[in-house]
Amino acid sequence: MTAGHNRRDVITGGAAALGLFLIGGNQVWATPSQAAARNFTPQILTQSQSQALSTLAEHLVPGSAKGGVSAYVDTQLKAGPNSLLMAKYVGVPVEQQKGFYLSALDAVASAISDKPVAAVAEAMASDTVPGWQGPPASYVFFLLRADALDVTYGSQAGFSDLDIPYSAHIRPETAW
Amino acid sequence: MIQNSPDTVIVGAGAAGLTLAARLAQAGESVVVLEAGAQRSTSDMISSQIWARKLKWSAAAVEESGTHPVGHAFNAGSGTGGSAAHHYGVWLRLHQEDFSVQRDHNRSLDWPITYQDLKPYYDRVQDAIGISGDHVAEVWRPPGAPYPMPPLPVFAQGRILDRGFQATGRRTAPLPLAINSVPRNGRAPCQFDGWCDAGCPIGALANPLVTSLPKALSAGADIRYDAQVIRVLRDSNRANHIRAVEYAQHGKRHQLVAKRFIIAAFTVQTSRILLNSSLNKQPAPGNRYDQLGRYLTTHPAGTIFGLFDDETTPHLGVSGGQLLCHDDYANKGQTGGFGSSQWLIANAIKPHDLLGYGTSRPDVIGGELRPWLQRAAKHLANMTLVVEDISSPDNRVTLSEVRDDAGMPKAHTHHDIAPEVANRWQQRIDEGEEIFRAAGATEVWHGPRVAMHIMGGTVMGDDEKKSVTDTFGRVHDTDNLYVSGPSLFPSSGAVNPTFTLTALAERQGDHLLGTPVNDALHA
Repeated sequence: MTAGHNRRDVITGGAAALGLFLIGGNQVWATPSQAAARNFTPQILTQSQSQALSTLAEHLVPGSAKGGVSAYVDTQLKAGPNSLLMAKYVGVPVEQQKGFYLSALDAVASAISDKPVAAVAEAMASDTVPGWQGPPASYVFFLLRADALDVTYGSQAGFSDLDIPYSAHIRPETAW
Repeated sequence: MIQNSPDTVIVGAGAAGLTLAARLAQAGESVVVLEAGAQRSTSDMISSQIWARKLKWSAAAVEESGTHPVGHAFNAGSGTGGSAAHHYGVWLRLHQEDFSVQRDHNRSLDWPITYQDLKPYYDRVQDAIGISGDHVAEVWRPPGAPYPMPPLPVFAQGRILDRGFQATGRRTAPLPLAINSVPRNGRAPCQFDGWCDAGCPIGALANPLVTSLPKALSAGADIRYDAQVIRVLRDSNRANHIRAVEYAQHGKRHQLVAKRFIIAAFTVQTSRILLNSSLNKQPAPGNRYDQLGRYLTTHPAGTIFGLFDDETTPHLGVSGGQLLCHDDYANKGQTGGFGSSQWLIANAIKPHDLLGYGTSRPDVIGGELRPWLQRAAKHLANMTLVVEDISSPDNRVTLSEVRDDAGMPKAHTHHDIAPEVANRWQQRIDEGEEIFRAAGATEVWHGPRVAMHIMGGTVMGDDEKKSVTDTFGRVHDTDNLYVSGPSLFPSSGAVNPTFTLTALAERQGDHLLGTPVNDALHA
């Protein structure tokens, strides 16, 4: 062939695939799952928002907390116009994502502070969370679940868990 | 600052812009392409649905309103190849009846050309780019040369869904794809790994990075990236003549003078640039009769999903699908709604992302999710519905009050869906679920109505009071300003637009170079 790469070339995606996380007071290059395992300090989300996201996402998509969903969202929001969050496809432009997520996660944090996460998730899906202040709850539910799916099943490890051959043409060094 | 003055400036390095850049540069013209996005190569096409999002539109967000927004962030692209860098290679011809919807049904607009005018260009492009398919099995196909490559194989998912079509008295054919089924023109054949949305670095899928871009570059075209065109500037002595484009690059404004200008910046941005070119109470080019930006269309689309006892291997194949059904295409006026429609059957699918099966079932959560996904990974099938839109002057691109970082007004799109089109969509979705059950699905559901492809805004026509350009894309009230791309489409049909916009660009190329237009080749 004269153009492109041979089938399933394995090349690296570059260091930009990693995020710079605040871990133990130091800026460290790490993947979101590594950052989660090392108790990273979120730079866009508050600790409360980060914890709320992990709790809800883990309920919706088991494995996503350990997979680093909070670190993933935090690092994408930090990326500003280069955010890869799926939200931009469904009505949340990148320049509005930070405000959207902060507002949504404040609402989630408030809701799960006095009710079990399972009850909150069920109420979010039907837009019946008492006192909900933020973007429509069912919309937030859909997007956070999608983010959790990205983190948990959007990688080579996730495909492997589902016994799907990844068959990359160009293999990403990391999932995002 | 005024830079050099090429023969032609083309705005946008997508399918239309690079097709014309290659044609004009190969004919000896000096050509500069101004692309708002980043330079990309095939090595940027990382096999990941998350990384794939880098190929989508990433500049100033488009404000959207209406009952059926056009989904610009998902449908548009930026950088080398534009939206065609992540397109699925479903290359279908418009049908003959798509060119006369107003005359036949008193809806939408008629094209100022017929299928016969475009047929020679479909044939030429098909031979140059390469399409895999079976023209005999595709019984609905309008006249044209046989495909130059055999169809791609049909895998289990396609065979299983075909049972449903046969059981309900419908016909299918291999989906025609601008994807190599065999080695051709130095490009490799497809490997059926389903990464089309992330680009195709092996070059099997005909995205511009492996088709028109190499030709344009080897012929000397100068492609400048991160160059956002703000407006076109009229000649102060000749109001119908465009003197230059103004563009922003690396925080500075520049002007580029040329003999000819072609705006090929994809549907919404093309209208935005022209609308922003109004100066001193003088109407924007092509807008003396307030037609610029109007007749914006998008294909209402949807996906049917189902689970089967059989193994479907849904990861195998290409994103566009394996089979095609156009049985309902010709009958636009059929009871139940309005518009043609098509089924793209057995799309290769991933577990996540907007079109993934995991995302399609937000009700499956917690401990049920992983076993459900594991089952779906082996036993799920899906197909995509595409429905014709009705062109309406009220669906349009306008300029926002909000400006982007370069100081240019953002684009605003408004698109409402006509009730009879929404009814057609629902009718076909119901039929699609019936087809799945007939194929043996044990569980069937469908996704929401979404917007696929964006067309119109600078539609071509014979009458300046009802269009923006003439039949060759020349903006009516100018002598050297052209538009290329799907924004020229007066009506949408129900087929994917890339083949048609490329054929139109080839036809424009002949016109601009003085080559006799192939109208004499009518079949």
